[in-house]
Amino acid sequence: MSPADAKAHSALAPSLLTGTRLPVGRYLVVSLVGHAAFFAAIGVFSYLHLGARIDLNQQPIKASLVRLGKPRDPKLLPRIPDAPKEEEAKAPVPEPPKPEEPKSVPMPDAKARPPGNADRRKQLLSAFNRTSGAGGSRTAKTIEELEGQTDGDPNGNSATQEGERYYGQLKAQIQQRYDVSQTIPEQERLHLKAQVLVLIGKTGEVLKARLATSSGNELFDNSVLAAVKKASPFPPPPEHLRDALQRRGIVLEFRP
Amino acid sequence: MTHPSVLARAVGFTMILLSARRATAQVPVLEISGANFRPMPLAVAAPQSADDNARSKSAELDAALMFDLSASGIFQVLDRKSFLARVSEGLTASAINFARWADIGADGLVKTQLASEGQKIRAELHFFSVGTGKEEFKLTDSAADRDVRRLAHSLADALYRRLTREPGPFQSHLAFVRRTAQGKEVWVADWDGRNGQLAAGGPNVLNVLPALIPDGSGVAFTTYRTGRPMIFVQRSGGAAVPLVKSDHMATGIAFSPDAKRIAYSLAVGESTQIWVAQADGSGAKQLTDTPYFINTSPSWSPDGKRIAFVSNQGGSPQIYVMSADGGGIRRLTFQGNYNQTPDWSPRGDLIAFTARDERRAFDLFTVNVESGKITRLTQDQGDNEEPTFSPNGRLLIFASHRTGTSRLFVMNSDGSNQLPLPMDSGAYHTPDWGR
Repeated sequence: MSPADAKAHSALAPSLLTGTRLPVGRYLVVSLVGHAAFFAAIGVFSYLHLGARIDLNQQPIKASLVRLGKPRDPKLLPRIPDAPKEEEAKAPVPEPPKPEEPKSVPMPDAKARPPGNADRRKQLLSAFNRTSGAGGSRTAKTIEELEGQTDGDPNGNSATQEGERYYGQLKAQIQQRYDVSQTIPEQERLHLKAQVLVLIGKTGEVLKARLATSSGNELFDNSVLAAVKKASPFPPPPEHLRDALQRRGIVLEFRP
Repeated sequence: MTHPSVLARAVGFTMILLSARRATAQVPVLEISGANFRPMPLAVAAPQSADDNARSKSAELDAALMFDLSASGIFQVLDRKSFLARVSEGLTASAINFARWADIGADGLVKTQLASEGQKIRAELHFFSVGTGKEEFKLTDSAADRDVRRLAHSLADALYRRLTREPGPFQSHLAFVRRTAQGKEVWVADWDGRNGQLAAGGPNVLNVLPALIPDGSGVAFTTYRTGRPMIFVQRSGGAAVPLVKSDHMATGIAFSPDAKRIAYSLAVGESTQIWVAQADGSGAKQLTDTPYFINTSPSWSPDGKRIAFVSNQGGSPQIYVMSADGGGIRRLTFQGNYNQTPDWSPRGDLIAFTARDERRAFDLFTVNVESGKITRLTQDQGDNEEPTFSPNGRLLIFASHRTGTSRLFVMNSDGSNQLPLPMDSGAYHTPDWGR
């Protein structure tokens, strides 16, 4: 072996590309054992600390949205605010904006359609508006008849406001769609509690909704998931909550 | 060599773990309650009959069963006109096309089959869950030919109990007053007002304020047969006899839930006071003592320890509560100025009553015995009065003038699902719902 050969050999020696046996094997073993120990420690740590990923004892936020209106004389007997009224059913509903129809395109349907159809469409749309969570079709008259506070929200459902206003809006919107089967036995209802983790995007859309804690009753679990689905999209979150709601989300704790 | 990829995976895993931990650490929890408990959409297929005799009875059974389930408060019974399934569809899960039932919005499906067994009719009721396409359970019962309505009530009760684990109210009884051209009669009937039997009548006699004896042995009522009001009792098989022996005007009897004691009003001079006595009328004792004021309409709490009543001692008729020995009188209602006819729920928490509101309409309300919170049950439907709770406390029967004459209606105890009882035409009022 010439000195030049020897130099070339030593230059190649540290390279992993060569098959030569080198003391790196020892470090590899130490490294693997070290990593294994590290990840085992993380595993144990996360098992111990992530077990209760949602703290069941965490004080839930209470939020309610005060209704717009005049307070009712406390001496009078209560009235049912949502009682169906003939005036309300007949009240004219603002017509939804119609999309512009290009006149050059022939519309055989429009001509063939009997005249009653337009009215029927209006009726259907107005019925849809009435039941939709937005409550946008409530006439000024019915708002006046409801008792509430002068600085309230048209969608409010409580006499007093507490907590963060946006959470109150979420709650009010979900509560409108929070339907559960009456056949669930009453003794069982007392113990039902389901939690749903919801991520809300910046325009108010639901990015993700999953059952975080089951109530143990399939009928109830399905009802609360359906309530979130039917109530969405929500109003766009305010600036200071936007990031948190999108990345970490909010846990909705449902009880009957 | 796998070392770098293992490392990459492990680092990724760590980051996932850490981010998961971070993500759930500070998640706010928003409490949502106040679920709208909605009745289960239920399809009840027309009964199928195995023979002609059973077929002749099926319409009657069907009508009674349909009304019970419609009034139960736990079902929204779907209109048969919307059904898509064949009428002859079988009674086993494999024979049923559940998609057709799901298409009409049904969550539950009931199918019944009737067959004759000697002098009896035997019924089989199958309950299916439309979502899972499975038969959940089957109920079997039989009754004499002439008792086919009671067979329906028995099946409805069994179905109710099976789902809610609570007793159903459909085999109970109802007493009420029927107004005729000659006077007022007391009747006792099935819960739905059918199969009625006259308990007290007679020309030009007023018989009012009936109270069923909780052990089912008869009915007591206030009668004007001697000119002044007296309380009589009519036990099954016997003649009506005086129960409260007093020279004063006795009205408005109520039995304690154990049927051992009675409460009633005695009018002496200008005042009316509440009295209690043993169920046979002996050992009478005066409970209220407010001279010049009127105390009436006693109603027992389900444990028999308290009595709700109406008193005008505060200036206007209001609902009060006292212990059954007359102590601890407490005013319960402070809203409205004309509150009357209390009926204490067998569940104990609520007292239903009639009140006149600021628009001078008579309507039904409940007051929570502990909190005093008043909830309105009826509104904008004519005058509604005289509520009486079902034995399980879930339903109320009341008298309503919404159709012109006074008729009996049933509704849920929160005021929803108001339905007229399927009674013959006539004027009815003052219902009392007992066991």
